[in-house]
Amino acid sequence: MAGSLISQSEQVFIVHGVENDFRSDGRSSIDYRPMELETDVVSHASGSARLRLANTDILVGVKTEIDVPKPETPGLGKIEFFVDCSANATPEFEGRGGEQLANTISSTMQRAYYSPQAFNLKQLCIFEGKQCWKLYVDILILECGGNLCDAVSLAVKAALFNTRLPCVKAALMDGGNIDLQLSDDPYDSKQLDIGTAPLLVTLCKIGTKCVVDPSAEEERCSVISLVVGVTGNPNFYQTDDNVIPDIKCKCSTISMNGPGSLSPKTLKSAIEQGITAANCLDNALGDALLREKDEISYLKKHSYGFLK
Amino acid sequence: MPLDYRRFNGPDDSVSYKRFTPDFLKSYEELLGDLLEKNNLKDEQASDEAQRVFAETDTISQAKGSAYVEIKNTKVVCSVFDPREIPHQNEFSHLGQIYCEVKFAPFSCSSQRRPPAPDAEDKALSEALRQAIEPAVCRHLFPNYQIDVFAYIIENDGSCLAAAINAAGLALTDAAVPMYDLITASSMAILDDKMFVVPNEEEEELAMKSQESKDINHGVITLSMLSELSQITSFIQIGSLETDCVIKAMDILEKECKELVPNIQKVVVRNVIKNVKRQQILHESAKEMEEILDEKYNLWQKSLKAKSYLCFSLSFFSLLA
Amino acid sequence: MPGPDLLSSQGLRLDGRRPNELRRIRCKLGVFTQPDGSAYLEQGNTKVLAAVYGPHQASKSKTSTEGVVVNCQYSMATFSTGERKNRPRGDRKSQEMSLHLRQSFTAAIKTELYPRSQIDIYIEVLQADGGAYCASVNAGTLALIDAGIPLKAYVCACTASMAWQGSEPEPLVDVGHVEEAAGGVCLTVSSLPSTGNVALLELSHKLHMDYYDMVMSRAMQGCRDIEVILDRAVREHLAEGWTKQDTITI
Repeated sequence: MAGSLISQSEQVFIVHGVENDFRSDGRSSIDYRPMELETDVVSHASGSARLRLANTDILVGVKTEIDVPKPETPGLGKIEFFVDCSANATPEFEGRGGEQLANTISSTMQRAYYSPQAFNLKQLCIFEGKQCWKLYVDILILECGGNLCDAVSLAVKAALFNTRLPCVKAALMDGGNIDLQLSDDPYDSKQLDIGTAPLLVTLCKIGTKCVVDPSAEEERCSVISLVVGVTGNPNFYQTDDNVIPDIKCKCSTISMNGPGSLSPKTLKSAIEQGITAANCLDNALGDALLREKDEISYLKKHSYGFLK
Repeated sequence: MPLDYRRFNGPDDSVSYKRFTPDFLKSYEELLGDLLEKNNLKDEQASDEAQRVFAETDTISQAKGSAYVEIKNTKVVCSVFDPREIPHQNEFSHLGQIYCEVKFAPFSCSSQRRPPAPDAEDKALSEALRQAIEPAVCRHLFPNYQIDVFAYIIENDGSCLAAAINAAGLALTDAAVPMYDLITASSMAILDDKMFVVPNEEEEELAMKSQESKDINHGVITLSMLSELSQITSFIQIGSLETDCVIKAMDILEKECKELVPNIQKVVVRNVIKNVKRQQILHESAKEMEEILDEKYNLWQKSLKAKSYLCFSLSFFSLLA
Repeated sequence: MPGPDLLSSQGLRLDGRRPNELRRIRCKLGVFTQPDGSAYLEQGNTKVLAAVYGPHQASKSKTSTEGVVVNCQYSMATFSTGERKNRPRGDRKSQEMSLHLRQSFTAAIKTELYPRSQIDIYIEVLQADGGAYCASVNAGTLALIDAGIPLKAYVCACTASMAWQGSEPEPLVDVGHVEEAAGGVCLTVSSLPSTGNVALLELSHKLHMDYYDMVMSRAMQGCRDIEVILDRAVREHLAEGWTKQDTITI
């Protein structure tokens, strides 16, 4: 990963620490660093979120557009991920320098959201075969402090939770064309159903152990990391008590990053570790988002943005 | 996207006629039924998947190393070129780099024509291929150099990434790039409780699409590994699968990759034998040529001697005169 | 002038400001830890992040023995405008903006102090609502100060436009997106207010020579006002920083 340079002895220090379950910032191998999350930060977007995970800073904006569905899937909408590595993060990203990293992250996200059990594209349908919503999920990486994938997936889920699609007031059929009239009222809108949206968990193999949420320095010490995408639990994102049957968490994507390789046994244990971690994260994210939603609806929320 | 001016592009809002054919209008259940029926027929033939691979090395003469791999109907050509200095970079890199490019032929897919410019899928495949073969190569042996690997998918009938990885592994061995182990890959499509090893396009598509109403396992997994070292170099899963299912699939794929190794080894050995033979033939023909040349040389020298004697005697006579 | 009515009969602008009133500026220095200097600046609804790296050794192609090379990159987030942008940078407009930023900052930085070196200034526009260039310059200045790079003076940028109050001409300061889109003149001035120097001047649409001085002086007044705000922000930031450090050492 871009940025930090560390020396041989620092590497040894980190590797030995991880062996004994001590990390340089005092965490154990299954701890996450503190996170800050704020939604609704960009007014030009339909939904947005900013997540700061220690030094990693991600800003996500969701924009909506009306589009024609693909002929082979007339009843489904579209979703597209675009990652931009800002040069603010490191001068290496200037010009087209961050493109490779951006492509890796966006294709991982695309894969994770592929399954209808992870994100149901049917809810983006307006008029079957004629019109649908297209969601542009634009991810801006402002600072890299390690563990980009996890931070991106959390921020994307929060931004999608915050996204409001305007309701359709009327549709005029004119020959084969449809003229839609969208509601102007910002409160007359519907929320997306994102309960099952996947979260990514990166497990970084340092020495012989796997740790979650690696910092930039720890990423430097490892040659291989495993990214596990796990579908969420809709129960965490609901306030009222009509309990939906608990859905078991499933893997929506698994991929490996880095130049190394893994033995099958490590891979298996890492996948299980990833699923447990994702479940906890999902729970925490759901709580935070619901709390924030309450604050917004009672007009108690104070917008911080970058000024805090 | 740049427009293709060389062919007639229909109006913007036109739809392919295929959309109205009965095949296209089939519902998901019907497609699934068809597939299962076909598979039942196939099961009677009882075919072992690992033996349905055709592989050949040294297919492209311009490349340093090349391979052609056919898995079922999927056909891939892969070529590897000599290491060259990494273009436009500022820092010295202690490890060699591998550059991969996967391309689809315009006619490779059954459903629609592939545009010649690489799209997101091509880029993702290239990245996946690089991830898979990078751990197999001894990159410390060529610092600051880069090896180019190009995979060209001639026909895509499912599991094209697995085929590309197999081809790239073979092409690298053919190019005599130092590697830790032979690399093999296999893929699997999962639909509910059915598992299709090395799926074809239909199976892959059905497993990816799935019915959203039902909460069933569905997905595609591609795994590549170094069997001798028992190391997994890449593991890519798309879809929605339970953990148990993933682990079960992993075991099967691992076995599949292992079974592939002796076959690949055979191809490599055959390639070595072929090369040795070719070298022998070259050696012999070179010897023959040398003999002929020697003969000619001797002849020429003799005639030269005779001539010089003549010249000498001539000058002698002229002196006398 | 056939332009639309930018001023109401009470002399207020479309967003309720008076003609000589700036939009609210809120800013913060040192938002990130990795860059040598960083700043965030909000000017109304225009939000900009700036990061400064350097001075560091210049890349081979750019190096100059005369002084430091100022390298700027302007990019806009894809969700920053009403209509989605396809690319964050690399298009003509952002390249032009990068050049203009470079012009402004080269005028302010004491370039002779760092020969053979390079300073990178990266601007990221998160939300564009008119006057993105001005906000970028102002944010960039703060980031340069945060990075501790010697400047000749604060460099501030401001826009100004023209409207008619009845038949009297009335210049407007700090043009918003709605006023920009309405198609009036837009004069962008980037200057070092305390020395009185102008670093960059850009005029779009036509403006009669008679009114030029009036508009120009309004824009310069805007720059001076911004300088006061930036100066206060810097002082507050430094005061905060010192007290924080004191508590840590005690």
